[in-house]
Amino acid sequence: MTSIEIGVVVSLCMLVMVIIGMRVAFAAALAGLIGLVWIFWAKKGFDPAAFWWALGVATKTAGQVPHSKISAQALSLIPTFILIGYLAYHAGLTKALFEAAKRWVGWLPGGMAVATVFSTAGFAAVSGASVATSAVFARIAIPEMLKVGYDKRFAAGVVAAGGTLASLIPPSAILVVYAIIVEQDVGKLLLAGFIPGAFSALIYAGLIVGIAVLKPGFGPSVTGYTWGERFRSLPPALPIVAVVAIIVLFVYNPFGDAIGTPTEGGALGAFVVFCIALINGMRWPALKEALLESAKLAVMIFTIIWGVLIFVRFLGFAGLPTAFSEWIVSLDQSPMLTLVFILLAYAVLGMFMDAIGMLLLTLPVVYPAVMALNGGESVSAADSVFGMSGPMCAIWFGILVVKMAEFCLITPPIGLNCFVVAGVRDDLSVQDVFKGVTPFFIADAFTIALLVSFPAIVLWLPRLAGG
Amino acid sequence: MAGVGQVLEDGSVLSRIDQQLHKLESSLALVSGLAIFSLMLLAVVSVAGRHFFNMPLPGYVDWIEQAMPLIAFMGIAYTQRNGGHIRMDMLVAQLKGRALWLFEWLTSLCILGLICLLIWGSWSHFSRSFDFASPWWSRDSSMDISLPLWPVKLMVPLAFSVLALRLVLQLWGFGAAFIKNTKVPVAVPLVLDAAAQAAAESQYITADEEVQQP
Repeated sequence: MTSIEIGVVVSLCMLVMVIIGMRVAFAAALAGLIGLVWIFWAKKGFDPAAFWWALGVATKTAGQVPHSKISAQALSLIPTFILIGYLAYHAGLTKALFEAAKRWVGWLPGGMAVATVFSTAGFAAVSGASVATSAVFARIAIPEMLKVGYDKRFAAGVVAAGGTLASLIPPSAILVVYAIIVEQDVGKLLLAGFIPGAFSALIYAGLIVGIAVLKPGFGPSVTGYTWGERFRSLPPALPIVAVVAIIVLFVYNPFGDAIGTPTEGGALGAFVVFCIALINGMRWPALKEALLESAKLAVMIFTIIWGVLIFVRFLGFAGLPTAFSEWIVSLDQSPMLTLVFILLAYAVLGMFMDAIGMLLLTLPVVYPAVMALNGGESVSAADSVFGMSGPMCAIWFGILVVKMAEFCLITPPIGLNCFVVAGVRDDLSVQDVFKGVTPFFIADAFTIALLVSFPAIVLWLPRLAGG
Repeated sequence: MAGVGQVLEDGSVLSRIDQQLHKLESSLALVSGLAIFSLMLLAVVSVAGRHFFNMPLPGYVDWIEQAMPLIAFMGIAYTQRNGGHIRMDMLVAQLKGRALWLFEWLTSLCILGLICLLIWGSWSHFSRSFDFASPWWSRDSSMDISLPLWPVKLMVPLAFSVLALRLVLQLWGFGAAFIKNTKVPVAVPLVLDAAAQAAAESQYITADEEVQQP
């Protein structure tokens, strides 16, 4: 067997382990370890006496991965972003945010739904949790929308769709994970997510206004707030804006040098939310709960990271990523079509797997292939296939993949956000929510098509930041 | 999906051991959470020191490197106990009774095998940097302020050992469930369907909203 064949067989073994329900992190690590033993033993011609030697070398190779890879400073962004999320729940920001959005944009046609989209998107961005955000706003916003006469299915759809805006607008733990796995600049990726995320929210809002204008009696505007009332609603909601602004400013300061590192930005954001939570009455039991939940999520993400990195070490020995890239490039079709197929494959995969697990398992093989499609890691924009330099292509692809993963959350038949919204509301079935979310589903497909056709939407900000 | 699980308890020996171990795991996970918290404070001190007092925090990066393994490994058994490590539950969600416990038992056994090997591997990673004869017993140290690296390297095999204990307990739980054909066994994380997951999710948030009310 050649090492590439070993690579394929071991990858298939990992797939089987994942499908039969083994925890993803451990399936990847075990497959990597088995693969390493196999490759080392094969070098000795499968001499029975050499088996223990191969096992020892493989175990020691794998055994240093967890500590040495996790100590990286760039990874420290992830726990701070997670902490922001859990503290945000305790800071009482959800209602304040919705109230402010209602007063400021309620006058639009379909105003209450537009307010829901903006407040859901804002809270999702800061908490980083799509599903949980939809669950919270199903409680806060759906009753208010029903009060002014919205269709309950549509109201549920707004909440389910709004929650999907968690992973693009900073702070986004998943973009950090992507940046680390593909070894690209974390700051630029975070920056790149901002416009597509805000753009998606605007498209949702535009869609609602459009429907409200065309369909009389669909959703009345909410008027009658004075400017004084509007401005008074701002301070309680301000921390959400502050967190996003702090992180963006720490990554890219348009007025001069960056103030600090992204990690410091994340930590300061967490500190702001922590102070607000203290003011709003958070005490040790609630803080302890938030810390335990943060630890659990951080451990989950880090475990997958080192598990997959053990697998990646084996893949490198087997030469599989290179072989896959060569195959992809040799395909007799346009590279753009290949890219679209890859994105569609993610749409399918995302239905069965958590976004972070899906990205970490596939990127070690898929990412080099996409880079090869564009003409290589260090290709210049002029010589490239997609018209952008290697690092820019990495950013563009990252944003597309993360948007796909979010898209899966409202894709029938198993979009998790829709299930959660239906689970929170007794009067709604899952079918109702899927029906209500359909316009947003179509809008998202449209957004993705735009991001694919006009990469400048994604790349404008990171280009400003240099590179 | 499926990062949530539910663990039932009763008065049996297995469940009592589970609860004792869970206490240990919770304290370790809290260490992990406090390490996240100190990461935050550290950055605030570092930024404030640099911008307002013209006094950068010495060894800031070194301390981050010390905190990261604490965050990543101390809570690993706690996360396994509560079913927090994600997996694909497409197949297991369809299974019931003995077939389910068999699959759970098999995958837990595979993980136990892996973790035992990694205890060995990470121990040898630790022992390469530990030396009684060296200053601070350390052969290597961090870049800036020369903190010894062996203590955090030692955390990895230690945390993995607690995880191994947890896995032995889960093997026991799933094994007993398979033999007795139990419907809802204790001491192991149970698969939740989407509706139950949603309920759990919103329960957490309801409890939370009550805290928030001024």
